[in-house]
Amino acid sequence: MITDTSTQQPEITKSEPAKTPSNNTAKDFRHYLVKFQSLIALFLLCAVIGLLSDNFFTVANGWNVMRQISVNICISVGMTLVILTGGIDLSVGSVLAFSGAVTAGLLSAGIELPAFDLFIGFTLLGGIIVGMATGSILGAFNGWTITRFRVPPFVATLAMLTIARGLTMLWTNGFPISGLGEGFVTIGTGWFLGIPVPVWISAVVVVSFMMITTKTKLGRYIYAIGGNENAARLSGINIKKVKIIVYSLAGGLAAVGGLIVTARLNSAQPNAGFSYELDAIAAVVIGGTSLSGGRGTILGTVLGAIIIGVLNNGLVLLDVSPFWQQVVKGIVILLAVIIDKSSSKNQ
Amino acid sequence: MITLHTYYSSNSTIWILLPLLFLFSGTSCDNKEAEKPRVAVVVSTLNNPWFVVLAQSAANKVKALGYEAKIFDSQNNTALETDHFENLIASGYIAVLFNPTDADGSIANVLQAKAADIPVFCMDREINNAEAPTSQILSDSYSGCVSLGTYFVQEMNKSGKYAELLGLVGDNNTWSRSRGFHSVVDDYPNLQMVAQQNADFDRNKAMEVMESILQAHPDINGVFCGNDAMALGAYQALLASGLDDSVKVFGFDGAEEVVAMIQEGKIEATGMQFPVVMAETAANFADQYFKGKRDFPKKIPVAVEMVKSSNVSHYIKQD
Repeated sequence: MITDTSTQQPEITKSEPAKTPSNNTAKDFRHYLVKFQSLIALFLLCAVIGLLSDNFFTVANGWNVMRQISVNICISVGMTLVILTGGIDLSVGSVLAFSGAVTAGLLSAGIELPAFDLFIGFTLLGGIIVGMATGSILGAFNGWTITRFRVPPFVATLAMLTIARGLTMLWTNGFPISGLGEGFVTIGTGWFLGIPVPVWISAVVVVSFMMITTKTKLGRYIYAIGGNENAARLSGINIKKVKIIVYSLAGGLAAVGGLIVTARLNSAQPNAGFSYELDAIAAVVIGGTSLSGGRGTILGTVLGAIIIGVLNNGLVLLDVSPFWQQVVKGIVILLAVIIDKSSSKNQ
Repeated sequence: MITLHTYYSSNSTIWILLPLLFLFSGTSCDNKEAEKPRVAVVVSTLNNPWFVVLAQSAANKVKALGYEAKIFDSQNNTALETDHFENLIASGYIAVLFNPTDADGSIANVLQAKAADIPVFCMDREINNAEAPTSQILSDSYSGCVSLGTYFVQEMNKSGKYAELLGLVGDNNTWSRSRGFHSVVDDYPNLQMVAQQNADFDRNKAMEVMESILQAHPDINGVFCGNDAMALGAYQALLASGLDDSVKVFGFDGAEEVVAMIQEGKIEATGMQFPVVMAETAANFADQYFKGKRDFPKKIPVAVEMVKSSNVSHYIKQD
C-alpha cells in the first residue's frame, strides 16, 4: 500500500524540464530522503514510541489506531482535493456533525409532517443516503458561493462552518440523538474479514480517490486548476463545474466521516466534529500537499493522517501530560511544513 | 469610478440585509410582547446538553412568571460574553440569569451590569467576587466529587489501578471536580492512577482516549470521568474490548442515559446536579427583585447528590 508518494502526480503539473539523472550520490541520497520524507518520519515516530512503550506494536493497538484515524482519513481525502484546487474547506467538521445528526434523526424518529398528516420512516440505507446527500449539498453550496459570487473559499466555508453547526443545533435541539439500531452501529463497531468496518470504509475511500486523482480527467483538471487557474481556464476546462464537484465531494466525504462517528457512539452528538477541519488540514499539510494548490497526493495525506493518529495514540500510551501533547502536535506540524518547504527548494 | 461603484454595491447590500434582519428578529417587532419586562439568560455554552437544559429551564420559568426571556450563548468565550452584557444593558433588560464562562474573567461583566442597576443571578458556576452578583446559586462540584471519591474508594476496596478522564484542561469545572476526587482518593496509596488524560467533555474523544489507555493498561479496575458524556464514551471503549465487567466507570452530571445505565449495573455512580432547580431558583429571585425584594443570600449551594445502584430507583424518570 505504501509506495512512492511524489511520483503520483499527473503529467500536467510537471512544468519544469525532466530531471537529468545525477551522478552525485549525495544528491541522489537527498533526493530519496525528500521523496520518502513522510514515510521516514512515520517510521521514526513508530520506532521511538515502540521503544518507549511495550503496548504500541500490538495487533489490537494497530487496529485501534486505524479505526481512530478512519474518520480523519475520509475528511482529509476531501480536503486534499479542495486544497489541490488552491482552496480550503473549513466547514467539514460542522458538515460532518449535521449529516450524522440528519441520518440519526431519520433512523430514530423519521419525519413527521403534521400538516399533510404524513409520516415518513427510513430504512438503514435510506437514512445513510439522505445523510450523505445532505453533506454533498452543503458542499455544493460552498462550491456555488465560491464560483458564482467569487467569495474566497476561506470565507465561504467559514460561513458554512457556523451555518452547518447552527443547523445541527436546530435539528437536534442541542441534545444527542441516541438509539440507532444494531445494523447502523455495525458501521462503526463491526468487523468484516478480520478488519474493522470503519477501516474498510476509509480504505475504499482512499483507493477510489487515488484512482480519481491519478487516472481520470477530473483528477487532471483538479491539478491543473491548482497549478495555474488561468492556464486551465484558457485550455477550456470548466473551472466552475470542477470546483463545485470538488466541494461537493468534500462535503460528501465529511458525511461519510459523520456516519462513522455517529455509528461508533450509537449516538449523534450536537458538538461532534468540533475542530476536525484542523486535523484534516494538518494531515494534508504533513502529507506534503502544497496549500497553494497543484501539488500533492492522496497517499501523502493518508500518511499524514496516520502520523497524527500514531502521535495521538502514542502520547496517550506514554501518558504524556495533556498540556504537552498540544505543544508536541503543533511542533510536528511545523516541522513537517518546514522540511517540505526546504525540500521543494532543493528539487 | 471604482469608489463610486463600491459605494453603490455596499449600499445595496444593506438594503438587502435590512429586511432580512426584520425577518429573523421575529418577536421584537411584535408590540404586545415588547411591553413585558425582559430578562436575559446568558449561558456559557449551548454546545453541551447540560447547559441547554439550564438555559431553557431558566427561560421557561421566566416566561411562566410573565416576563419575556432571551437566551444569549457566550460560546465559552468571555469576550463574546462582554458583548452580550453591553447589548443587554443598552437594550433595557431588567435582570440577568447568568452562567459565567470564567470565574475571574466574567467579574468585569457582572460589575458592568451592577453599575447599570441590573441585578445578576449566577447559576451553577461561581464568580470570584462575592459582592458583584445579587446572588449566586451554585452547584458544588468539589464536594460532589469528594463524596464520589469516597464511594470510589469503597467500591475499589481501597486498592487497584485506575485512570482518570479530565474535561477541558482550561476549564474551572474540570479541575474542581478532579481536585475534589483526588482530595479523598490520594490518601490511599494502594489506589494507583496509571493514566490521567483529557477528553474535553466529549463522548467520541473519551472513547478514543480510553481505547488507547486500555492498550497500555488493560489491567485497570476503575475509571473516573469528569462528566457523563465521557463516562458513556469510556464505557463504549470498555464494551468494545470486553473489559466492561472488570472496569468500574464513574461519571458526573446525572445525565438520563447514565442514570439508566447505573440501574442496569453498567456504570457505577454519577454525581447528580440539578440544573432545573438552579435555573428556576434564579428565575424566582429575578421576579422577587423586580417586585421590590433586595436582600438575597449571597450564595446558595445546591448539593450534588450521588446516584449509585442502591438509590438509583429514586432518579429514574417515570413516564
